[in-house]
Amino acid sequence: SVEGDAIKVYVRVRPPSEGTVLTDGDQGLCLSVLSSNTIRLHSKPEPKIFTFDYVANMETTQESVFSSVAKNIVESCMNGYNGTIFAYGQTGSGKTFTMMGPSDSDNFSHSLRGVIPRSFEYLFFLIEREKEKAGSGKSFLCKCSFIEIYNEQIFDLLDSASAGLFLREHIKKGVFVDGAVEQVLSSAAEAYQVLTMGWRNRRVASTSMNRESSRSHAVFTITVESMEKNNEIVNIRSSLLNLVDLAGSERQKDTHTEGLRLKEAGNINRSLSCLGQVITALVDVGNGKQRHICYRDSKLTFLLRDSLGGNAKTCIIANVHPGSRCFGETLSTLNFAQRAKLIKNKAVVNEDTQGNVS
Amino acid sequence: AAAAGGGWAAVCEKFRTARTLSAVESRKDPETEPYRSKYSARALLQEVKQLLSAAEEGGEARLAAVRRAVLEYELGVNHTDTEELSAGEEHLQRCTQLLEPHRLSPDCVSLYIQAQNNLGILWSERDEIKTAQTYLESAEALYNQYMKEDGNPPLDPSEHFMAEEEKLTDQERSKRFEKAYTHTLYYLAQVYQHLEMIEKAAQYCHTTLKRQLEYCGYYPVEWALNAATLSQYYLSKQCFMESRHCLAAASVIFSQAGQVPSAEDNETEQDQQDLRQRKAEIARCWIKYCLNLLQSARKLLEDNIGELDPDRQLELKAQRKKEEDEKEKGRKKAVLFGTSDICDSVLAMEEKVSSVYPLDFQEAREIFLVGQNYVQEAKEFFQVDGYVTDHIEIVQDHSALFKVLAFFEEDYERRCKMHKRRIDMLEPIYADLNPQYYLLISRQLQFELADTYYEMMDLKVAIGNRLEELDSHTIKKINSLAQLAIKYYELFLDSLRNPDKVFPEELEEDVLRPAMVAKFHIARLYGKLITSDSKKQLENMQTSLEYYTFLVDYCEKYPDAARAVETELELSKEMVGLLPTRMERLRAKLCPFI
Repeated sequence: SVEGDAIKVYVRVRPPSEGTVLTDGDQGLCLSVLSSNTIRLHSKPEPKIFTFDYVANMETTQESVFSSVAKNIVESCMNGYNGTIFAYGQTGSGKTFTMMGPSDSDNFSHSLRGVIPRSFEYLFFLIEREKEKAGSGKSFLCKCSFIEIYNEQIFDLLDSASAGLFLREHIKKGVFVDGAVEQVLSSAAEAYQVLTMGWRNRRVASTSMNRESSRSHAVFTITVESMEKNNEIVNIRSSLLNLVDLAGSERQKDTHTEGLRLKEAGNINRSLSCLGQVITALVDVGNGKQRHICYRDSKLTFLLRDSLGGNAKTCIIANVHPGSRCFGETLSTLNFAQRAKLIKNKAVVNEDTQGNVS
Repeated sequence: AAAAGGGWAAVCEKFRTARTLSAVESRKDPETEPYRSKYSARALLQEVKQLLSAAEEGGEARLAAVRRAVLEYELGVNHTDTEELSAGEEHLQRCTQLLEPHRLSPDCVSLYIQAQNNLGILWSERDEIKTAQTYLESAEALYNQYMKEDGNPPLDPSEHFMAEEEKLTDQERSKRFEKAYTHTLYYLAQVYQHLEMIEKAAQYCHTTLKRQLEYCGYYPVEWALNAATLSQYYLSKQCFMESRHCLAAASVIFSQAGQVPSAEDNETEQDQQDLRQRKAEIARCWIKYCLNLLQSARKLLEDNIGELDPDRQLELKAQRKKEEDEKEKGRKKAVLFGTSDICDSVLAMEEKVSSVYPLDFQEAREIFLVGQNYVQEAKEFFQVDGYVTDHIEIVQDHSALFKVLAFFEEDYERRCKMHKRRIDMLEPIYADLNPQYYLLISRQLQFELADTYYEMMDLKVAIGNRLEELDSHTIKKINSLAQLAIKYYELFLDSLRNPDKVFPEELEEDVLRPAMVAKFHIARLYGKLITSDSKKQLENMQTSLEYYTFLVDYCEKYPDAARAVETELELSKEMVGLLPTRMERLRAKLCPFI
């Protein structure tokens, strides 16, 4: 229907790692890209066709992924919209390559650099252009923060010394991480520097505290604030660009992506703690009656609440590995991506004035 | 048994080590070798199995079989824990086969139930929920049969590898057995949820909670939250008595949590904060309870234009009197939480608020006041600074409480004042709210404010109609309320525009009805504006006509929309037919010489 609220979903198929095809033979691939928006999964007995907003095959370049996925979002960010780009997929499906680029040290000038560095470049290019057009009447302020969500706890990647942080809401500023370091940015290169520094913190943490990087979500947020002076009237506009590297999807068994598996009780007394989830599910399917559910969203969905529909632009890049050994994970990623297309911020307005038409 | 002696002690020791490895040590295994301890445990269990078959040749067959079953069970669980489902299934199957003839005897029943539980989990991991269901239901049936036919505390499976002097007390046996069965019910709750047998799932959740309480296997805060959430399920089914019972129990158990002195008394600020939040969450469930009870009563009592129907009121009051006599019977049917002392506190808690539909203002007011108290309690934690969304939701509930209370109020002036209270709580919050981050809430507030002003205007008109003649004060009041209602409806409609300020060609499904209602109400409001200036009146009629026309045209273009606004569309069509004639007549009056 109308362009807007629905989340855009892009699927990218990475090339199999070297040697995989040879060892697996001709039947080594579990999917084929049919067109620029359909993909066929070779499931048995019937193959399954999935349709998305865009499907990038193995040959698609980083530049072309950026143009079709992120360009629009960065542009609407300049127009005052909040934008979010998620990368989703199992470990090894190419999320980091898509978002960051090859795992060398200097990705910023690398020809294979990913969506994030390219978004930085484009954002600052647009800012410069705006500034030139408007002259001294318009100024910009860019700030960024970089946080990690691990085990439902929030850590600041720009301040490795900080302990767990909390999410709060402000009536004017929306959801924010209380106490997160904000760094002012003046160029794309600087943004990239901050990002890599934070990214390194993420890795350090993964060994010293025995965390596995793919078990955490990383959220890099740029705030773009513009100030325009028109005679005596000052017009301030601000928007957010969130770049999110989700934990490997195989680690998310405990969230809503899971299938039918029962929650085990284990041996200790605390064992039945998942009962709450069952009850919540029962209330969830209730019939739109007024109710309150005591269990909160996950930290990630709370933080990105504005990004799911409403007046935000959001896209998900679902990365998949084509190898037939990854069939199960690929199927679940594609199913997730399919569901994501339906996510919308339901603008339910309490409207019950029936009868009041006398 | 002859070969036993020191040998048997060694066997028991090995068995015990295996269990410790599996349950305790395995939690400390490194991520790179997550199943190290489980594999060691498995090796030990295999050894025990071999020792047994060597030692017990010629021994008592039944005893040997039961011991083998215990080992098969442990091996089965071990294999499923390490993701070797097929092997696990074989062991568990062998266990149940060995026990089949003895499953109702006190030394086997617990093990048999636990084996069935694990087969249930195993099949659910294969996404075969139906198969899981059959195992779990048969475990449930076995428990019931055993309790009916025998009922003595049965042996715990681990006792088969214990020396006589180590055997458990009856109390401990019973505790473990009941726990195994609680797990059966807990798994069944999940199975029914997955199978979308919602009612059954809720019933099993309820029973699980009840048993947790009975056998002291619970954490007060967690338990209270679960019970409070379950109350919300009952609300959606309009089972107010059950809902109230869950909430009362939640409040009582929660208050225990606060009383428990913490072990080291180093409770962090965070823990305190969490506790306060949970308390506020439970208060919010209570608010919803009061709100739903009032709203459901309103539904029962209102006539076709949304006013209180006195005949219906009398009828319901008579009906209630009749039911009160049978009330005691109904009470016993509900599943009650808690043993005597808890039960008393829960009942005392329940007495503070009714669970039957209020039928007049006095009864409604009592429920309203309880709800309002919980509003204050919830707001203490969910302050606007830091908890914007939660805070506003609570304020919206408060407003909804006033709205439904006003329905029961017969005096129009007083009713109007209640709506004014709503305005006073909603307007300042709306003014502060940034729609860039809170678009959805912002729209809800716009619409609710518009509606409230609309309702107030209607009331003022009704009050005015009772007067001989409209005085200028009332006219002014009516006009200003109408203007304010229009303002908020327009704000709502503006929020649907795109960044270039263009109203959407086609409305999204979720805003279709509210947008159409807003248009319709604006049309009516322009029709209600009172002016002695005929030119102004003509203008208002013109505007009114435009809004009615929008509705009619839109539904013509998108016929699907008509279903959402049937009544409004019908009236709009009528007005589009009538208004031009009326305007013509007015114009003729204005310029009589043309």
